[in-house]
Amino acid sequence: MTRTILGIESSCDDTAAAVVRQDDEGTVILSSVVFGQTTLHAAFGGVVPEIAARAHAEKVDHCVEQALLKANVKLRDCDAIAVTAGPGLIGGVLSGVMCAKGLAAATGFPLIGVNHLAGHALTPRLTDDVAFPYLMLLVSGGHCQFLIAHSDDRFERIGGTIDDAPGEAFDKTARLLGLPQPGGPAVERAAATGDPKRFKLPRPLLDRADCDMSFSGLKTALLRARDSVIGPDQTLKAADQADLAAGFQAAMTDVLRAKTARALDIYLALSPAEPVLAVAGGVAANMPIRHALTDLCATSGVRFVAPPLALCTDNAAMIAFAGLHRLARADFDDLSLSARPRWPLDGAAPGMLGSGKKGAKA
Amino acid sequence: MSDDPTVIAFDTSGPRCAGALLIGDRIITRTDDMARGQAEHLMPMLEEMLAKEGLVWADIDVIGVGTGPGNFTGIRMSVAAARGLALGLNKPAVGVGVLEAQAFGTSGPILSTAAAPRDMVYAQRFTDGWPESEPIFTDLTGALAVAGPDDVTVLGDMAPILLAAHGLPTGPQAVSVIEGIALLAADPIYRMDHPERPAPLYLRPADAAPARDAPPTIIP
Repeated sequence: MTRTILGIESSCDDTAAAVVRQDDEGTVILSSVVFGQTTLHAAFGGVVPEIAARAHAEKVDHCVEQALLKANVKLRDCDAIAVTAGPGLIGGVLSGVMCAKGLAAATGFPLIGVNHLAGHALTPRLTDDVAFPYLMLLVSGGHCQFLIAHSDDRFERIGGTIDDAPGEAFDKTARLLGLPQPGGPAVERAAATGDPKRFKLPRPLLDRADCDMSFSGLKTALLRARDSVIGPDQTLKAADQADLAAGFQAAMTDVLRAKTARALDIYLALSPAEPVLAVAGGVAANMPIRHALTDLCATSGVRFVAPPLALCTDNAAMIAFAGLHRLARADFDDLSLSARPRWPLDGAAPGMLGSGKKGAKA
Repeated sequence: MSDDPTVIAFDTSGPRCAGALLIGDRIITRTDDMARGQAEHLMPMLEEMLAKEGLVWADIDVIGVGTGPGNFTGIRMSVAAARGLALGLNKPAVGVGVLEAQAFGTSGPILSTAAAPRDMVYAQRFTDGWPESEPIFTDLTGALAVAGPDDVTVLGDMAPILLAAHGLPTGPQAVSVIEGIALLAADPIYRMDHPERPAPLYLRPADAAPARDAPPTIIP
């Protein structure tokens, strides 16, 4: 049986659409189009929600057209419309959800609201056909959590950040050090020539036996370290910049490595037949972090899976793929589907982030 | 397309979901007031309206959508839905400014107004329904400047205030805003003048300040 699904993603600063097809032979990404917004936000040192929302609203339909064109698929040949319904920046999520509702109403195709985190968490099955249960480290600009994927609709969160996401910390570090955005690649380049031991930066929460992390203190420590060497007229020597970048990256790597080791202990207690650690999110592209995790997996007898970067960062192919699971079960949403800024993937675990009256973010 | 296109129009620029169906010379409207929840309510409401007339989406020839000015989130959600519908139906979606819809069918000089946040005003001047200025975001004085020296009739949220403070006459609208959106979208000349995809009419920049802490200057 052949199923073709359109996926739409607009939860942060990338507008994306993709067409994915599944048949008895397997699953194929026919197209995956991503329109970025980096230049729109460059002056603000971070993603501005209203600016992102404005761009999404006028790009989503163009993005869908391009995805269909590249896949050489007519809309009427699709079987369902899958769309990120949260968590994320609500203006962007809403733009995608409303466009998807328009498409679903017009075509009569089922509408499937997908959790963005489920999209990331299922990607290793799309790229590497990994068997359940596997351990997932989701580490991006907006998220940081350890999930044990038990099935396509059961994810157990065993830890995560209690404040900033690592990608956010990389972006802020880049800004503090006068490096360009996006911060991840810029900090990594600068760190390559730096001395990671010169500045003593903290490894937050390593004294706690759990898998939770914190990065906002690391950022503050970096600011203090920078201010200790900054010259008159806010000048920073290139060598200091490199050492600070290297120190920050080393701290980040140590924390992720140590907490991943603890997450692996919890996961391996389940005695999985083919143990796997999979990563997703843009921060997983950082080579020193990736090396640390690869090394850790090698010593633990765990297979390390990192999908190609284009499928690690935000994209719509993962949303389409997650939607295929729901399509197979005929588990659909209707046109009253809500866009949700907060939507924990693991509804059972207590909220860690922003657990105010609106509920946990993730 | 026939001379009498079947039009569906909708608007969520204010605290409501407004919908209209133009079928031949009949126009059916529905307005459900709500401060929140438009995103969940809009599409099911439109489907109910269609079903009541024995229509399906494929019967629609033109989609008209209110582009604001108004609530940013509200105008975005309708614009995104209209674009999705247009792509799915392969039919045109036409964006209609709500100040223009409000002035539809009026005669003589009109100042079409809507309340904006923090005592500000959205205003646009028309004569016989034709725009004579771009819609702007301004204060009351600015709105008066747009009104000009001659006797304009004021429509919309600011009408009572401008009547009380400046004696400007207020006039009846010829049609409601949602009817105006449907009727303008039905007009082939209006569609020819607005061939682009509907886009929100924000009139105000995004609330975003460039980062305050300047990055350091890198020296060798």
